[in-house]
Amino acid sequence: MIEHLSAEQISQWIVGDRPWELQEHVAGCAECRAELTRMENALSQFRTAMREPASFVPAPSWRQPEPRPATWFSWRRMALTATALLVLAAVPVTWRVRVHEQALREQADQSARSALADSQLLETVDAEISQAVPQPMEPLVTLATWNSSSTEQNQKSQER
Amino acid sequence: MGQSSLVEWMATAVTSSHELDDFESVVRLHWLKIFRFALASLRDRHAAETLAQDCFFRAYKARDRFRGDSSVSTWLMQIAVNLVRDHIRDRRLQFWKRARKTAVDVTAAASWIADNGASPETAALRKEQVQAVWDATGSLSERQRTVFLLRFVEDMEILEIAAATGLKEGTVKIHLFRAVQAVRDRIGKTK
Repeated sequence: MIEHLSAEQISQWIVGDRPWELQEHVAGCAECRAELTRMENALSQFRTAMREPASFVPAPSWRQPEPRPATWFSWRRMALTATALLVLAAVPVTWRVRVHEQALREQADQSARSALADSQLLETVDAEISQAVPQPMEPLVTLATWNSSSTEQNQKSQER
Repeated sequence: MGQSSLVEWMATAVTSSHELDDFESVVRLHWLKIFRFALASLRDRHAAETLAQDCFFRAYKARDRFRGDSSVSTWLMQIAVNLVRDHIRDRRLQFWKRARKTAVDVTAAASWIADNGASPETAALRKEQVQAVWDATGSLSERQRTVFLLRFVEDMEILEIAAATGLKEGTVKIHLFRAVQAVRDRIGKTK
């Protein structure tokens, strides 16, 4: 058995949540009944006061709003037009940027290829220059070397 | 949904949508309820009148979209609740504007209540209690106040309040419970 309704239980009752045990207690407790009645009366008085005509402003006479005349200007239309123009302007710019970038890439590739060819050519030239005589004349050099050494031997023997 | 409830729902929807055909009658019928709610929420007679007019204007513009899921009254209250919420937010943002300055005096809600031949003591007690509830609702949060006013001034059921505020049934109950506790605390001080 509940002794008396707590503040929460009174609020619960007022909100309309009334479990059986609360109903049983209220039925047998004059003090809690008085407390609930006091609260309910206050709310009822408040409701009455709020519904008193003294606080009201009478309803205005309703005049059907006239439909707006159709105009060519509207913010939505302006926004759509601006967006469409931006898109139209952006397409050729983007296309041109892409073409330019592609041309630059091709140019760079071409430069890299020609640089490689140049360096290979230079290596070949360097290799050729570093040789004392051209390759087709190398047997003659051997022959000349052999010839000059035999001449020197002849001269030495004659001197003796 | 059973056949009979479906028929009832369709009948309500048809009635509700027909109700909107004569919009002047809608304004006449629901004006006081919307104005009262706006006044109790904003405590500014001029702002409440503007808000109520705005509510009906918006309802008129949106009347084709009304599907009859709820009554016209609940639908109008839903618009009013949203407008009150927007108004309070705007007022919070425009903190440099002194709303109180333009507010018509609605701080004395007790003066609205008629004596109806009651003894001076009884009349005084009533006024004191009304004023205590009015003051208490002024210190509630926007949601608690809305739920409280819809329940105890407009006599709306919890489900109707949930439909008008867009809150869940349980949330409405919690806000209502807290509002009642705050009001009870204030009334307790007037003992």
